[in-house]
Amino acid sequence: MVRNRIRVSMVIGAVFLFVLPAIFAQTGNPYKATGVHDLAGVWIIDHFQPALFPKGTTPPFTPWGEAQFKKANTLVNDPNLACLPHGIPRLMFVPLPMEIFQVPDKVLIYVEAGNQLRQIHVNRGHRNDLDPTYNGDSVGKWEGETLVVDTIGFNDVTWLDHVGLPHSEGLHVVERIHRADHDTLVDDFTIEDTKAYTKPWTASQTYHLKPGWEIAEYVCDNNKYVYHEK
Amino acid sequence: MNTRRFVILFALAAGAILLSSPVLAHHSTAEYDMTTVTPIKGTVAKFEWSNPHAYIYIEAKDDKGNAVEWTAELASLGMLARVNWKRDTVKPGDVITIYGNRAKDGRTVMRLDKIAFANGQELSAHVG
Repeated sequence: MVRNRIRVSMVIGAVFLFVLPAIFAQTGNPYKATGVHDLAGVWIIDHFQPALFPKGTTPPFTPWGEAQFKKANTLVNDPNLACLPHGIPRLMFVPLPMEIFQVPDKVLIYVEAGNQLRQIHVNRGHRNDLDPTYNGDSVGKWEGETLVVDTIGFNDVTWLDHVGLPHSEGLHVVERIHRADHDTLVDDFTIEDTKAYTKPWTASQTYHLKPGWEIAEYVCDNNKYVYHEK
Repeated sequence: MNTRRFVILFALAAGAILLSSPVLAHHSTAEYDMTTVTPIKGTVAKFEWSNPHAYIYIEAKDDKGNAVEWTAELASLGMLARVNWKRDTVKPGDVITIYGNRAKDGRTVMRLDKIAFANGQELSAHVG
């Protein structure tokens, strides 16, 4: 009797060990609609989007937003000139790799640019009375295999893209991050800031998996010239 | 020395340091003419292996034979390492040709596209 139970257990174990992985392998994309929470890996953007509104398209600026945008000069007042943090969403559009880690209560995004570490808290809602910061307060929840990230609590120092789309401290960014397939990650953004824009707008960035890549050290050592001679 | 004179001297000294600093900063490609590639042959004066950009300084000659220094800007070190660049890929004294997109404002600065060594061998600086 006991021996039979052991045999049954072994058969069930074998099913889990060998049969289920084989089924997943045959479906091609185990990340699609299975609720698998797996974004881990080193990723890099598939194409560079310096401007989230390319020539010929117009952002839904408020008068304030348009006035701010006209002041933007990539050679003079880009906040990133002195390697200040990019802020969200711009950090997610930088043409350098990022590594995603999933740890208890957090999804961490380690971006090579400036070796910035972005924290997405998946165990709590937004804190009250947030002090404005470059990357804001990001909280996430899983909807199936998609990580939905809600970020508020920004300062108004950063640009939304690389050419100067402005924002206020009222910026609200929602991201839907998911694996389209094993080697492809997609981040769909909804950006809302009633001071700068008359309505919410969307953007999207696709990333390729880079197996074997490691995030390199990235310190803006050119800044040493501010204090040290060349 | 009274306080006011000290403040003025300090400000002048600080200004002199800032003005003598190289025009190195982290920036977009907006300042370069991305539609044309210019080749410049010269001798490497310095290869600066640094983030957010590496730089090659070249001593070259203009059309009239006058000495002119060119600065070629490269990507960040992590990305360069991924396309086989090393801190000693070029060395002072090497004669190379740099190919890149010139600054729109006429300065002798370019965004590096590739280099060609004296033996004709080429190395791309493309990281994307």
